[in-house]
Amino acid sequence: MQDNRAMTSLRRALIGLAALALVFGAALLPMILTSDHDSHRGAEAALILFGGWGFTGTGLFAWYRRPGNNIGPLMTAGGFSVFLAALGFSNDQVVWTIGSLCGGLFYAIFIHLLLSFPSGRLETRFERWLVWVAYLDTTVVQLAWVVFTDPVKDGCDNCPANPLLVHNSAVAGVVDAGQVIVGIAVIAAMVGILYRRWRKSAPSQRRATGPVLGIGGLAFGLLVVELLIDQLNLAPDVEDPLQISALFILSFVPFAFLVGLMRTRLSRAEAISSVVGKLGADGGRGALRDALAEALGDPGLELAYWVPAQEQFVDALGRPAEIDRGEHGRMATIIEHDGRRVAAVLHDADLEEDRDLVEAVGAAAALTLENERLDAELRATVEELRASRARIVEAGYEQRRRLERDLHDGAQQRLMALGINLRLARDRVGSDPNAAVELLDGSLRELNETTAELRELARGIHPAVLSDRGLEAALNGLAGRSHVPVEVVATPDERLPKSVESAAYFVAAEALTNVARYAEAQRATVSVVRTNGRVEVEVRDDGIGGADPARGSGLRGLADRVAALDGRLEVSSPEGKGTLVRASIPCE
Amino acid sequence: VVAEDSVLLREGVVRLLEEAGFEVVGQAGDGEDLLRKTRAHKPDVAIVDIRMPPTHTDEGVRAARAIREELPGTGVLVLSQYVEQQYAIELLGEDAAGVGYLLKDRVTDLEQFAEAVRRVAEGGSALDPEVVSEMLGRKRSGDPLHELTPREREVLGLMAEGRSNQAIAEALVITERAVEKHVTSIFGKLGLSPAAEDHRRVLAVLTYLNA
Repeated sequence: MQDNRAMTSLRRALIGLAALALVFGAALLPMILTSDHDSHRGAEAALILFGGWGFTGTGLFAWYRRPGNNIGPLMTAGGFSVFLAALGFSNDQVVWTIGSLCGGLFYAIFIHLLLSFPSGRLETRFERWLVWVAYLDTTVVQLAWVVFTDPVKDGCDNCPANPLLVHNSAVAGVVDAGQVIVGIAVIAAMVGILYRRWRKSAPSQRRATGPVLGIGGLAFGLLVVELLIDQLNLAPDVEDPLQISALFILSFVPFAFLVGLMRTRLSRAEAISSVVGKLGADGGRGALRDALAEALGDPGLELAYWVPAQEQFVDALGRPAEIDRGEHGRMATIIEHDGRRVAAVLHDADLEEDRDLVEAVGAAAALTLENERLDAELRATVEELRASRARIVEAGYEQRRRLERDLHDGAQQRLMALGINLRLARDRVGSDPNAAVELLDGSLRELNETTAELRELARGIHPAVLSDRGLEAALNGLAGRSHVPVEVVATPDERLPKSVESAAYFVAAEALTNVARYAEAQRATVSVVRTNGRVEVEVRDDGIGGADPARGSGLRGLADRVAALDGRLEVSSPEGKGTLVRASIPCE
Repeated sequence: VVAEDSVLLREGVVRLLEEAGFEVVGQAGDGEDLLRKTRAHKPDVAIVDIRMPPTHTDEGVRAARAIREELPGTGVLVLSQYVEQQYAIELLGEDAAGVGYLLKDRVTDLEQFAEAVRRVAEGGSALDPEVVSEMLGRKRSGDPLHELTPREREVLGLMAEGRSNQAIAEALVITERAVEKHVTSIFGKLGLSPAAEDHRRVLAVLTYLNA
């Protein structure tokens, strides 16, 4: 709320300044065109309007987009200083004087801009001192020069009379020369500073400063040459075209500044305040991502949230997210809060050198991130639940289908055959008793096999001994039937909840089935241990390993069965190092 | 006394027993009924279904224990549909005298069934061959069972079923003398002390196999 109000009032001020600049420039146009002491009125007018509006326009835009950065206000001031200098074209002596006094101000502002670009701050004491000197040189020294200069006697026949003139003397020449020398010294120092900065800067920073330094440097170079020619009276006839082309190039500088500024990332403080400012506004899902994307200057930025229970990152919708991808110049920075993993920011690899910026911005948004993380975690859990519920239902159907098939192909067929045999035997009891006995014997054998088959089937569905006698008995039975030597190492002394016992038993049963089928193991061990409110089931073998839990539906079904109890199933099966199936099930 | 909640099966068992020359003095449908009738008739043997009302879990095993405790003169033969050593060991593991554990399928082999009933009635024991073979088949690493000859394994199995030397000799068509030699050799290899009575032998073998 507070922020919005601040934004609105800033906006109002900026619109006011823009209107002022428009009016100012428009008022200047007839004044320049009617100036009776200028020889290139048309060109000057065009350049001044282009440069002045260019600087104020881009400056105000930059100010609006990056309110925390001084570059925008400085560019706006630069634009107005161009207009102020243009007052020197006036035929009115007061206005003309103001113009003359402000004639050099633009150069100082320009130096200030170049030195503080792109952060908007002067980093060193020397830079601040240099900018001060530039301002003094273009204001106080300018005043001194104005006071001692009679423009009419100085060669400007049509200039209005200087109302500030104290006395036209040679002092003016000395002051002028001093001003230029100081100016050149300041510019030289600035060039040195910018050169050093350029050499130290990273490629991404060069992308931002390149246009500014290129165009600004060119314009400044021309101005310096022009100044030298003017001072040393070398070639007066190239002086004016030189100045005009310098001013022409200079008028493109504001656009270079804008481009550069938009290319630079926000400073740490700016980025943090930008993100924090937007956190309050409830923009719904994706708002935080957008805020971070803008603060870090990476439109393709993505967020992934950490779900501890699944030990993986998920996107905002709870779907698993891959963060280790190195391709496409993307990379991830992990954001932590209170020492816990919260999220990962997937960003442009260009940001690598600004990783601390990413972390700082992430830390500023950590609480909101944590909120979104919880949201994503919930979604991930729901997603997983939905999937596992579907699988459990499907597994249930599958089991019924199998059961139906087993009963139909097995017991039912055998019983029908039995019925036929008995029927045949009955018909032969009188006529051929020997054949009847043979048939009956066969029937008895068939009957026994059928019973055995039904017994196995029933045990597969649920072993009675598990509910009657508990895990130890059931696991021992399992071990006894296994084709691989199995040792039951540990089982809890007390009975566990039915669902836990059942899950533990089926984990062991499925794992042992796999051991017998695939592991080529010499022996296996089963242990069920109750510790810290959990039951840990471990089945370990010394076989060939290399089991892939994603492959078999058996393990997947087990994982679901275990997950239904809020437990976790892990399979560790390094090639050649045996297999360990471990289920951990909560059990208070 | 025959206790079995499925009337059909109970009637069948009763008819088989009567055909084999046994006298069935009472029939029961659940554990309590069984205890009542056993107390009333004091039979030589009670034949008990492992799973009966009200809980349909292991009433038979519990009733068997109660009978052995209260009426030591009555043998108990538990009929079960489970090949689970656990129940067998619970029944025979402490005192194998006068106790048996057979799979229900076994009743169709009248001769074997009658023999088992008789053995249990006389204070011997009976353990289902399938349960025994599962116990023998259990894989152990470094198992002395591997040192037994095939014939010795056969003898061990029959011993575990509760058979006497004479019965073993008949089953394998060898002399009793030969059986005795095998038994001594087996006990030696497994490090067990020889036991004279058949049911003690069962106990020793069971304890060994279950260790």
